[in-house]
Amino acid sequence: MYKRTKIYDLSYHNFIGSWAWILHRLSGLALIFYITLHIWVINTLTQGPEKFDTIMNFLNSPLFKYLEVGLWGIILFHAFNGVRIIIVDFFKGSFAQKKIFFLLIAIAFIMWATGSYIIITHIN
Amino acid sequence: MSKQKISIKILRYNPEKDNKPHWSSYQLEAEHDSTILDILNEIRWNIDGSLSYRRSCRSAICGSCAIKVNGQNVLACETPVHKFKAKKLKIEPLPGFRIIKDLVVDMDNFFEKLKQIKPFLILKKSIPDKEFSQSPEQFSDISESVLCILCGACTSSCPSLWSNPEYLGPASLLKAYRFIFDTRDDGAIERIDIINDKNGIWRCHTIFNCMEACPKNINITEFLSKLKVKVVENSI
Repeated sequence: MYKRTKIYDLSYHNFIGSWAWILHRLSGLALIFYITLHIWVINTLTQGPEKFDTIMNFLNSPLFKYLEVGLWGIILFHAFNGVRIIIVDFFKGSFAQKKIFFLLIAIAFIMWATGSYIIITHIN
Repeated sequence: MSKQKISIKILRYNPEKDNKPHWSSYQLEAEHDSTILDILNEIRWNIDGSLSYRRSCRSAICGSCAIKVNGQNVLACETPVHKFKAKKLKIEPLPGFRIIKDLVVDMDNFFEKLKQIKPFLILKKSIPDKEFSQSPEQFSDISESVLCILCGACTSSCPSLWSNPEYLGPASLLKAYRFIFDTRDDGAIERIDIINDKNGIWRCHTIFNCMEACPKNINITEFLSKLKVKVVENSI
């Protein structure tokens, strides 16, 4: 008998549900990375105001503002897909999971666009 | 009906000759409404008699002929060629299982997991003299889940199962639902203990591949969600 490798299984067709799951996992990992970074930055407060100010100056550069636009998108996706999973698990959402996905992602997209506009217009 | 030319790639594996599976190509003419099983039969009967695949009832009842076509699990006997718009078909054995030969996979593990959840009526109360009565309302809870034909298309399409072969899988969990929510059954507590496990119900991440793959269109994810709620209620 032959056991195929797990990589082989990746050739399976991705439906909406599996895309949502993959992106949920990836955005979750990205958020863990961000929170670690965030705690590290806040932690510099314990090393005195000068150290904190230098780091904050560095983080106020336009590059990080654009990264914040990405972060805002990742947070929104993770949050709204999380809402979808709650609806599926507790409120019979599995009957319309694709519609719920598109509806929530549309709301998330509007919030992302508005938030991003505010962030970008505030770049010094 | 007009015939059309289609090209087919099949993943072949002969354990006596091959070290690993390889693709073989076939060209043939098929009717517009031929099923995948018709095409496999055509190849086996007229082109290459060494092709192995499971089939029995050819009417979507026995659940033998589940295979992966163009990246999704289907029942060969009920899926027409025109479901796949491309005139190229890529036919493979079910993912997640070991290949015995060509499209025949080893289902032992699948049925072993089915046995784990005790797929039979457990009776603790006294047995009634006549028949077990169940009202249509009581039956409506499980009416969809009893349609399962155990073809394995759902379990094999589950990414949680690919990463953890010990996971019970949607088919066994659906069977667990079918008995836990059966009003005649008294074994709910012991079944809940079995599925409330690291390889049990909590490996379901609502990916919906099982629902897409199910040839009987059973809303498996909904039943698994109900099971999750039941397990939580039971442990409070």
